Amino acid sequence: MTSLSNPWNRLTLAGKVIVPLVIALIGVTIALAAVWLSGFGPWLIQWLLDTLGANIGIVRFLIATTVILLITVPIAFLNIFFEMKIIAFVNLRVGPNRTGPWGTLASVVHGLKVLAKEDFTPTGADVPVFTLAPAVIFLAAVMTLLVVPFAPGLFAFDMEIGLIYFFAVGGLSVIGLMMAGWASFNKYSLLGGLRAAAGMISYELPLILSVVGIVLLTGSLNLTTIVEDQSGSFLDWNIFRQPLGAMIFFIAATAEGSRTPFDLTEADSEIVAGFATEYSGMRFGFLFFAEYVNVFILSAMTTVLFLGGWNAPLDIDPLLNFFGIATPVTVVLDPGSLGFGLLGVIAIVPPVITLILAVAIRMLIPTWGFLRSLVVAFVLLNMLVVGLLLGWLAINLDWVLGLLWFLIKAIGLSAFFVLLRATLPRVRVDELMGFAWKWLTPAALINIFVTAAALIVVKSMEGGL
Amino acid sequence: MSLPETMPYTGWRWDDLVFLALAGVMLGSALLVVLSRNIIRSGLFMVLSFLGLAGIYALAGSPIVAAAQVLVYIGAISVLILFAVMLTQSKAGPAALVFQRQAWIAAIASVVLLGLIGASILLTDFPAAEALPTVHETREVAFLIFDANVFAFEVVSLLLLAAVVGGIFIARRDESADEEGA
Repeated sequence: MTSLSNPWNRLTLAGKVIVPLVIALIGVTIALAAVWLSGFGPWLIQWLLDTLGANIGIVRFLIATTVILLITVPIAFLNIFFEMKIIAFVNLRVGPNRTGPWGTLASVVHGLKVLAKEDFTPTGADVPVFTLAPAVIFLAAVMTLLVVPFAPGLFAFDMEIGLIYFFAVGGLSVIGLMMAGWASFNKYSLLGGLRAAAGMISYELPLILSVVGIVLLTGSLNLTTIVEDQSGSFLDWNIFRQPLGAMIFFIAATAEGSRTPFDLTEADSEIVAGFATEYSGMRFGFLFFAEYVNVFILSAMTTVLFLGGWNAPLDIDPLLNFFGIATPVTVVLDPGSLGFGLLGVIAIVPPVITLILAVAIRMLIPTWGFLRSLVVAFVLLNMLVVGLLLGWLAINLDWVLGLLWFLIKAIGLSAFFVLLRATLPRVRVDELMGFAWKWLTPAALINIFVTAAALIVVKSMEGGL
Repeated sequence: MSLPETMPYTGWRWDDLVFLALAGVMLGSALLVVLSRNIIRSGLFMVLSFLGLAGIYALAGSPIVAAAQVLVYIGAISVLILFAVMLTQSKAGPAALVFQRQAWIAAIASVVLLGLIGASILLTDFPAAEALPTVHETREVAFLIFDANVFAFEVVSLLLLAAVVGGIFIARRDESADEEGA
């Protein structure tokens, strides 16, 4: 054993990760080569495909949950970048500009920094509860993402009761907040946790009541049906049919996500960082991870419920028809018909285009060296290819364009949340509860009443009474 | 090659396995609610127990009842209980002694309850479910509540309203006492 453990102990931390990976890679390569040479390859692939196809439900479940879990990482990074850059813009600062182009990698570096920090548990803390609390908060946020319809046919689960599921699971984060506040064994944490829980319970009521009008209009709790009900031009969006409901939902969503002006869970002069006071390292990171994912989820929900989801604001098909372009546009590409020539095209065309672009750049800007223009030409080529690929996808797959519209709306709203944070002062804590109970909840009830009355009037007029 | 319809060797359906797991979580955490020495942990185990019950509802083909279970029992009732405990409990006080005062009465009550529930389970003839409900279950539930049984629904809502008004009346600050104090 010692002959093996001595070299192992001499490895650095990175080496302890890389050496087993290299050994595993070699093993997998040998196994694959053995399978291929023995002639079992096609049979094995067929068996694998058959097994996966026969259990398509389980496979779809695993892929959907994994994808939902993974996309939270870029979402959170994007929101952290917005948080730094937009607030810097409002403050007339430059903001992060050193790591990556325009500081885009600063949020990644933040994540790595949090990972490397010491993970500290205070004395007297209730260790299991303290450890589990960030996971509960994060899971409650991520699980709501499961029912969001991103584009036609692109969703993790299409639940008949998607709207109720969203509120039910979203409400679970209150438990996590209280766990974090109580288990920290710190009076500021406890007060912060109680304050956060009280705020979330109070604002959950107008949040749920404000969408009842939409349920009445659509006649469904299914989020896909709600989005399809808003198809057409932007005048069909629910924000124009339910302006009061949209306003209440947006305000209550801001409070649910603990965003300014309602971010009283963190108040330096009163309760320090609230329930997050005693957290450090990646657990602290998870609390903030959950907050940024939550901002995106609330933006996505506002988009789905009030801004038409994946629907484009205007239907451009009539305009295209006017110019003589038949819709839907189809582009037929069959790269397979080239046979072995395809390999040649893939090998030759990119370098040739890069060289042509480099020469063109050299002629346009004579002061640049050849290497510099070559690099710029290579970047240009990549942008061109990605653009063409996206255009081709948008024409041939109907969900790409829908996803694009959805992301534009949802990310725009996330940016708006950050802009609110840079602009508005905080609400006083005693006014926070009063606003929810005395103004938002009655307004939401009035909204339900007016919507129901209008529906009855319209239906009886249509029925000829 | 698909998964077999039933589990090998035992002949159970896969749903039965999920049901057993959920029931185990539910009963185990319910037991821990009573046995746990720490009152906040009792409350958290209660949340876990409710989650297990919601899973059983979803498994039985009624997602709307499962969602209502999570929304009401976890999102409102458990949170309220935890909230009250956190506001009144202090770590300096005796956290463990609170449970032991009424052990004999509790034992008698639980034995009686066990007898009642056991008798009712044994005496009831459980018919097998005909088929899993269709996707339009939500619509049917809505018709049952707001059309067929609307009178009972209104009576219950009136009762709840009376309870809310009464709660606010009790919780209201006594203004005359405040003035005297000031």
